[in-house]
Amino acid sequence: MLKRFRDIIEYLAGEREITSLHNPPSFLAGRHEWMLRTLLWICAVVLIYAFCGQSSKFIYIDF
Amino acid sequence: MIFNTFIYYIAFLLPSATLYRLMPRRFAPWVIVLFGSGFFVYFAWQMAGLWGAACLFIFLWESIVSRLYRPGSRWCFFGIVQSLVLLGIYKYWNFFTDHLFFHHQNPIHWRGQFLPLGISFFTFEFFHYAWDRRAAKTEAGSLGEYLAFILFFPTMVAGPIKRYQDFLPKLRAECVNWSNDWERGFSRILTGLVKKFAIADLMTAWTDHLNMRDIAIAHRWALPLWLLAYGVKIYADFSGYSDIAIGSAKLFGIAVPENFDWPYGRRNIQRFWQCWHISLTRWLTDYVFIPLGGSRVATWRIYFNVIAVMFISGLWHGAGVNFIVWGLLHGVMLAVHRAWRTFKPAPSLDPLVVFLSRVSTFVLVSAAWSFFCMDIHTALFFWRRLIGG
Repeated sequence: MLKRFRDIIEYLAGEREITSLHNPPSFLAGRHEWMLRTLLWICAVVLIYAFCGQSSKFIYIDF
Repeated sequence: MIFNTFIYYIAFLLPSATLYRLMPRRFAPWVIVLFGSGFFVYFAWQMAGLWGAACLFIFLWESIVSRLYRPGSRWCFFGIVQSLVLLGIYKYWNFFTDHLFFHHQNPIHWRGQFLPLGISFFTFEFFHYAWDRRAAKTEAGSLGEYLAFILFFPTMVAGPIKRYQDFLPKLRAECVNWSNDWERGFSRILTGLVKKFAIADLMTAWTDHLNMRDIAIAHRWALPLWLLAYGVKIYADFSGYSDIAIGSAKLFGIAVPENFDWPYGRRNIQRFWQCWHISLTRWLTDYVFIPLGGSRVATWRIYFNVIAVMFISGLWHGAGVNFIVWGLLHGVMLAVHRAWRTFKPAPSLDPLVVFLSRVSTFVLVSAAWSFFCMDIHTALFFWRRLIGG
């Protein structure tokens, strides 16, 4: 259960291909999957816009 | 910086990824070389001025020397030493010489010291290529292919640390499935930016307090919360960075190694390091731990090797005593875990034990971050305040 949830999260985050999911749920493999993806991208852009401007630095890469 | 600037996407990533896919295969590596050079000069100039930008010659020099590498040749040894000397001078010169002239003015202090963009990462890739060519583990490739490997800008600044033998077949492969690669790549880039802006940067409100003055006046129970916030911040920051790097590479149709696999919540420190900054852990295993003898030596040597590797890991993360202490702490934890495994080889399946081991690993990792995010005096003061009140 937890593994399946994790796989779906990783797919939505762009980390996996749909083919790597075992029995992908219909909302990911169906005809209207593009709507979910568009919604996610809009949410991501809104979040980025809402929170950007706090800091300009990645803290791990100063070396 | 860099990955959260518009210029990176508009001037470098999108045009180069598009051109790379449209070009005939034999010219494609040169697209990466051209844009990688432009990327390095532009951002290195911004960070360290003319001398920073001039470090592009390091790549050109390395690519010329690399043409001399043959299995078993001394030139490979030269390449290995060269990459270590480059890293040593640029990153550790002042750290070591200042300690050498302890309590005295350092006459050979480098006043204008600067770090060439991505030096800790590209020197590791130089080292890997020279080592693997010496051991005949990889083919030479053409000059253009090697330059594309070292100047591949999505991973140039902070990894993930690539391997030439993995990179080469992807560079030579035909670009197919453009739409899927771009959809996956952009999803990954957006995920990385969300992690950076909406999680990592949000934590700054707490992590900014990790300084001597605020620690002195804070309620002691606030201290672990600030440290916890730092643990969240550094994970979201670096995994977000890696997401953007991997997503950017995907736009070229090139898969680069993953760097994180849900490291928090792992049930022991060994599993944590197998899931945290994976490309670095593998590099250290292949080029430090195994050459030292790995696990096929006397027991005391195994523990020594583990602690030595983490000492080097700590020093690599930063030229400071606090980073060395952070590395040694992890080395000791890994050695203790290894010793424990000899007494109890099979891990328990009891859910309570599993839960407690996950929590205790997370607590120990979080506690060790104190030596990563603060200098040694501040970190020790932090622990005096936390324990002593």
